[in-house]
Amino acid sequence: MKRFDLIVIGTGLAGLTAARTAIGMGAKVLIVGRGMGALTLFGNTVDLLGEIPPDTEMEEGISRWIASHPEHPYARTGWEGIESAIAAFQELFPPPYNFAAAGRGNSLLPTGAGTMRPTWLIPVTMAAGAAMTPAETLIVGFRGFKDFQGDTVSLHMKCRGVTLPLPRYGLEGLTAPALARLMDETSFRERLGEAIRQQMAGERFIGLPAVLGLRDPAAVLKTLETITGARVFEIPMLPPSIPGTRIFHRFREELIAKGATFRMGHPVSGAVVKDGRCEGIRIDNPPLVAEYRADRFILATGRFLGGGLWAEMERIIEPVFDIPVFQPGERGQWFGERFFEPEAHPIHRAGVVTDADLRPVDTLGRVVLANLRAAGSILAHHQAIEEKSREGIDIATGFLAAKKALAL
Amino acid sequence: MDLQTEVLIIGGGATGTGIARDLSLRGIPSLLVEKGDFTSGASGRNQGLLHSGGRYAVNDPDAARECIAENRILRRIAPHCIEPTDGLFVSLPEDGPEYRANFIRACGAAGIDTLPLSPREALAMEPRLSPRIIGAVQVPDGAIDPFTLVVENARDAESRGARILIHTEVTGLIRDGLRIAGVRVRDRITAEAFAIAATWVINATGAWANHILRMAGLQIGLALSKGSMLITNTRLSERVLNRCRPPASGDIIVPNDTVSILGTTSLRAEDPEHYEVTPAEVTFLVDELSRMIPDLKGERFTRAYAGVRPLLQSEGTNDDRTISRGFALIDHGSCSGPAGLVTITGGKLMTYRLMAEKTADFICERMGLHVPCSTHVQRLPGAGHGHTLKDRLLRLRRQTPAAKGEILCDCELVPREAVDAILREGKVRELQDILHRTRLAKGTCQGGFCVYRLLGLLNERSKADHRGGSNRILKGFLEERWKGIRPVLWGRSLKEEELIESIYKGLFNLTPAEPGGPGGGEA
Ligand SMILES: Cc1cc2nc3c(=O)[nH]c(=O)nc-3n(C[C@H](O)[C@H](O)[C@H](O)COP(=O)(O)OP(=O)(O)OC[C@H]3O[C@@H](n4cnc5c(N)ncnc54)[C@H](O)[C@@H]3O)c2cc1C
Ligand SMILES: Cc1cc2nc3c(=O)[nH]c(=O)nc-3n(C[C@H](O)[C@H](O)[C@H](O)COP(=O)(O)OP(=O)(O)OC[C@H]3O[C@@H](n4cnc5c(N)ncnc54)[C@H](O)[C@@H]3O)c2cc1C
Repeated sequence: MKRFDLIVIGTGLAGLTAARTAIGMGAKVLIVGRGMGALTLFGNTVDLLGEIPPDTEMEEGISRWIASHPEHPYARTGWEGIESAIAAFQELFPPPYNFAAAGRGNSLLPTGAGTMRPTWLIPVTMAAGAAMTPAETLIVGFRGFKDFQGDTVSLHMKCRGVTLPLPRYGLEGLTAPALARLMDETSFRERLGEAIRQQMAGERFIGLPAVLGLRDPAAVLKTLETITGARVFEIPMLPPSIPGTRIFHRFREELIAKGATFRMGHPVSGAVVKDGRCEGIRIDNPPLVAEYRADRFILATGRFLGGGLWAEMERIIEPVFDIPVFQPGERGQWFGERFFEPEAHPIHRAGVVTDADLRPVDTLGRVVLANLRAAGSILAHHQAIEEKSREGIDIATGFLAAKKALAL
Repeated sequence: MDLQTEVLIIGGGATGTGIARDLSLRGIPSLLVEKGDFTSGASGRNQGLLHSGGRYAVNDPDAARECIAENRILRRIAPHCIEPTDGLFVSLPEDGPEYRANFIRACGAAGIDTLPLSPREALAMEPRLSPRIIGAVQVPDGAIDPFTLVVENARDAESRGARILIHTEVTGLIRDGLRIAGVRVRDRITAEAFAIAATWVINATGAWANHILRMAGLQIGLALSKGSMLITNTRLSERVLNRCRPPASGDIIVPNDTVSILGTTSLRAEDPEHYEVTPAEVTFLVDELSRMIPDLKGERFTRAYAGVRPLLQSEGTNDDRTISRGFALIDHGSCSGPAGLVTITGGKLMTYRLMAEKTADFICERMGLHVPCSTHVQRLPGAGHGHTLKDRLLRLRRQTPAAKGEILCDCELVPREAVDAILREGKVRELQDILHRTRLAKGTCQGGFCVYRLLGLLNERSKADHRGGSNRILKGFLEERWKGIRPVLWGRSLKEEELIESIYKGLFNLTPAEPGGPGGGEA
């Protein structure tokens, strides 16, 4: 049986970051996951903390915010932890498809609902979205592509919009991945660029759904910008997310190249625990159950959507190790009366509570398994959805968990 | 605008629209006003059970006979609104064999066919039933689609000359000496107020009956009882499942196309408008119905909803379930009230046609007309068109790829064309009206995805009409959706809800007070 230095459970952004960090430290790593995580559903930009106003410098804003949120995962990593983790992330994406901040603080980018949304690192294909003005922008949608409603975007943003037909393709099955693959074809994007050019009335910016190719998005961007003479930007839209899929592919490529073992598609069904330590995990691969052993483990299985947490009628559980989960009251108190409440629904604070080293603890603060760490959105006491902190938490805690796990 | 009619009907539920249709078939002009949309009362908030009468056979033989007679009529006149599933009355050890014996005898007396089944036979028919059952009895229960039923009664009445105003609320009764001579109404969307003169005013407002009567200083003995129901994501059984015991709470599971409806509770209510499904009710329903279907807890629930029953009060009883489920037709003129005002309330969806018949008979008699009722033989206009998911799939498959067009709602296969057609019809004034007329947002994701698409369609029209955009509709929808989904948030539906919140609050950054677009669009 193969033995690993570290097993990372979860192939979302937190697990991927942890695995890559550990590989960088020379460890022998196994990463296992059931699916591709929230990354390929909602991943577009790298959010750190949306509520820091755009005119506040990020370091200053977050440092001050951490002081008043001592239970938040960021309080475990500190600003320094976030900064070094983010820098490592940026190294993985060299130009031409790179991620950069547009200012010293958050920038606002348009969304598929025509609203504006704060974020920190922006991929090059979205950068012009932070610079556009409505009067100079044309929004382009595609007829029959129902996950991006161009009229909704242009009407709300108060800019001009057109919906272009894609004659070669039927209306059925026009999905984001299908469109992205078409964009990867040079002839297709050239014809599209031409069709857009004919619709332009002097606009300097063009907004499109975030489907500008999977293989070489920077090249798609370049073709469209050259033909139209305008700056082109992608707009985040309904899942699945093409930009998130690009991030996933880049990580996987890097991990495999550096010798990590990648096991995807099969759920972890349980753990082998002895004397307060985790010795191994079992992976269901019917009809077989495979057992993998390691010295250290990182749990990065996400929240309810990812399967990291599961809500029974009476309580919330963590299915792999059955470690204690902080839960805000009983079922009747999990959600507020209205969908939109001034505060996030209490359920979002549920999760795994850890010590300063990201080791899960019980209600008395005692470490549950000495060689297990938790990272990413499974952690308690954050509100990633409303805070706009999803990627920041994943990257910073994934990075820290690997560093701590492999520290002597 | 002031209007005039022979018969004014208040209430656009099954009873009100049924009366409009019955009168129109007898050539009597009527005008119906409904303060919301069709089916916004109990007619859209029930369990959709086409009773065989079995449930009432032991305790209320008259009601049982009424049910089985209407059951047979509805199968004839509205076959497309009915799924003839049959039903099982299932005995658990705690229900005992005595009630079962009584039940079979009482059904026989009421003319309800029964087929006793051994536990093995019943389990072979419904494999998810508890292995603890000691027997079952099959009866001709079924499932009924109240939405189509009501809309078609209305449509047929209109095509025969009746007039119908939805989103129009009665705010007062107009008196002329000892008579009621009409009503005052208000358009709930434009706020326009006007009067409608009428020779007869029929109060078919179900649980709201006393709200109308109070306008004339009258009152009848009505208790309101809230009943809550849960919807599962898949269909649990082929047949209706009832407990074979005296009627109680939490003892019926009705299959409805691709889902099942679990019900109900019975709790006193004060107000027919404001009530909610509580966590305790949800726990009760799941626990209680798990006795019949043991692995119910692992099921995915997509929605909870509740309705309010008007129960006619008889003396000296406190248990709502022993209060009669029968109906009452009251001519207020003949019991010291003003003439020209009639109330019809109580009853069941099952008996809407009979209630309408009795009401129309009464009006005819008072008008001195001798036109017999024909609703028991005249089929509804849509008879022959299926509405189930299977029918929708078949219709789609028959179309050529080009004509198929865009599917707005993937869970329920609602084509964009269907919504376009409703919008073109022009009578629709709210998003809710579209949701009531299609299966949009009734599937697994409860509209989480398709509302964004529906919004795109509405915005396309706004743009064509040079109107501005707003997220008010989207947020309103999400709030309404929340009412139905919040009570069932655990397990897989909670998981799905994280996706929906991640989209609308995360990705789209919608907030209680949303800042709007860069052009300063309104929230
Ligand atoms: C929980 C529950 C489960 C049930 N299950 C079943 C079942 O399985 N099978 C069955 O046969 N029956 C069932 N019923 C009973 C059935 O739903 C009702 O008997 C039936 O729908 C009553 O129809 P209605 O038209 O009389 O009343 P409603 O449908 O309530 O219609 C009254 C209408 O009047 C309108 N209105 C009120 N005030 C005004 C005003 N001022 N101006 C204008 N309009 C006004 C309301 O908006 C409403 O639409 C159930 C009922 C409940 C509550
Ligand atoms: C026989 C039967 C079968 C049913 N089958 C299903 C089913 O398969 N799937 C299912 O999900 N439900 C089903 N239902 C429940 C139904 O969808 C409603 O929840 C129920 O009828 C209550 O009526 P309502 O829509 O007026 O109630 P509400 O609880 O007020 O609203 C319920 C839904 O209506 C829409 N809505 C209402 N008001 C607004 C508004 N102002 N703006 C925007 N949207 C609004 C939303 O979709 C909301 O979720 C069924 C009900 C019956 C009686």
